[in-house]
Amino acid sequence: MTAKQFFKSNVFKCIIALLCVLLVSGVFLTLMNALMHVSDEERLDRAINKIYGKSVNKTAVAVADYNSNAIIEDAYHITDDGNYLIKSTGKGGFDNGTITCWVVVEVKGGAITGIGKVVVDSNKGQTQMAELKDSFFNKFSTGYYEGIYYTTNDGFVVSNSTKSSAAVCNAVNGALDFVLAQPGISGGAVDIYTEFDYIDNIETKLSSHVIDEQTGSVIFTVVSKGYGNPSNFTSEITVSTAGIITNFEIKVNGSTNDGYGATVESNVQKFVGKDLAGIKALLNVGEEYPVYPNENFGDMVSGATESTYTAYTAALFAVANYNKVLTAETPGEGEENE
Amino acid sequence: MNKFKKITLDGLIFQNPTFMLVLGTCPTLGLISSAFSSMGMGLTVLVILTLSNVIISLLRKVIPDAVRIPCYIVIIATLVTFARMFLDKFVPELYESLGGFLALIVVNCIILGRAEAFANKHTVVESAVDGIANGLGFTLALTVMGIICEFLGKGSLFGYQIMNFSIDMLAKPAGAFLVYGICIAVFVYVIDCFERARRVKVNKLARENLLKEAV
Repeated sequence: MTAKQFFKSNVFKCIIALLCVLLVSGVFLTLMNALMHVSDEERLDRAINKIYGKSVNKTAVAVADYNSNAIIEDAYHITDDGNYLIKSTGKGGFDNGTITCWVVVEVKGGAITGIGKVVVDSNKGQTQMAELKDSFFNKFSTGYYEGIYYTTNDGFVVSNSTKSSAAVCNAVNGALDFVLAQPGISGGAVDIYTEFDYIDNIETKLSSHVIDEQTGSVIFTVVSKGYGNPSNFTSEITVSTAGIITNFEIKVNGSTNDGYGATVESNVQKFVGKDLAGIKALLNVGEEYPVYPNENFGDMVSGATESTYTAYTAALFAVANYNKVLTAETPGEGEENE
Repeated sequence: MNKFKKITLDGLIFQNPTFMLVLGTCPTLGLISSAFSSMGMGLTVLVILTLSNVIISLLRKVIPDAVRIPCYIVIIATLVTFARMFLDKFVPELYESLGGFLALIVVNCIILGRAEAFANKHTVVESAVDGIANGLGFTLALTVMGIICEFLGKGSLFGYQIMNFSIDMLAKPAGAFLVYGICIAVFVYVIDCFERARRVKVNKLARENLLKEAV
């Protein structure tokens, strides 16, 4: 085919037609993008309008990483009311996804007094967001106790959307922690576990305990830090007065998928009935904090090793410290840390 | 004039893209749990469908047959991208509520189907009427189902709480599937009744004419 034939051929016409359509479309979209581009500032104003219902004066606050469970994306100090507006991304959602929320942290007189509002900005890979109704988000405002962090236990776990609700909790906790780190802000959780044993893998500020008045057992709600891939686990562990674990229930399962989640649910039942020596024997723990991996972990190594280890550290914490709780002089009138 | 009436009635009723041709099922099932989202999706499709029909009809003699489908897709994708920019800028609530389904309009069978089956062969005005009629048919179908699903599934209408009673399942895609099926059945039944009545009337007239001729 000569050049002349090519230029007269249908192939050439097709190429030209396609290129023309592409060119016109490209130019049109470029112009429209220039006209309709939504700037970051505009998006921020929208978010603020959604939260406050009006425009507010604000100053940006320098952000920094909070911890492994939340990332602070943006932070603003609302000069009108003194509150903080935090854009926080909570990790640990469904399929390792995240949820980004705008969180209004109310501050009065230099102390955090509550959560004003929690509004979801976006999410990655969450399929059950519709399950998170207004009532769930309102709980952050209505259930706030001064100076205490939210925990990811009862009340903040939404059935059918467990992981997503945990991610929102992580976002809110991250926002609270970030504001607490600001100069002149107080009201953080009282860490009553600083002198306790085996706290390296425990979120001590997020953990709590109560003493069962009838049996005298200590019921711990322990948040153990996700080891490796899993996110934090929240476990309710009952330790009898004899120092034996009588119940181990995972409230928030930080496993990366349902298969590991089911395995760890089964594995933790092996902690029940064991005292400190029995628990220690599982990993051959000496005076040092247990270091995973350890061949003595036996049949719990396969399947959901990291998740099981995360839950294990909670069990070790509970069973090693129950007597400290029982003999403590004043761990707080209500003993609760939430 | 009869031609436009036929095009309109076809788009709205006799070839309703949702109930009769069962096209655009993905956004239908995904969005009818909310009347606002359904209507928003319907109106967005209406605008895109009308514009794409007009543009494709305008270019039908210019675009070679061999590359018509890629060209249509580029045109539709451009319009959808424009719609996304427009909604994000001016109607952010709707943009958020439509989510990923907005981008999926590019592969909505109704739009490409009408481009290939109608706009490709008809004048600009006819194509515009066809786009509006089909878009309206789609919008009405989605809105009706959205109202049913939201009312029964959430007890609300366009976001306003009406009652406390609700059947949760109907606010989910599974419930939407059920409502969709029932709506198709009812719609087809009603159309069928009309068709039968019309046929009886025509037969009666024909019989009377034959009798007259015989007399």
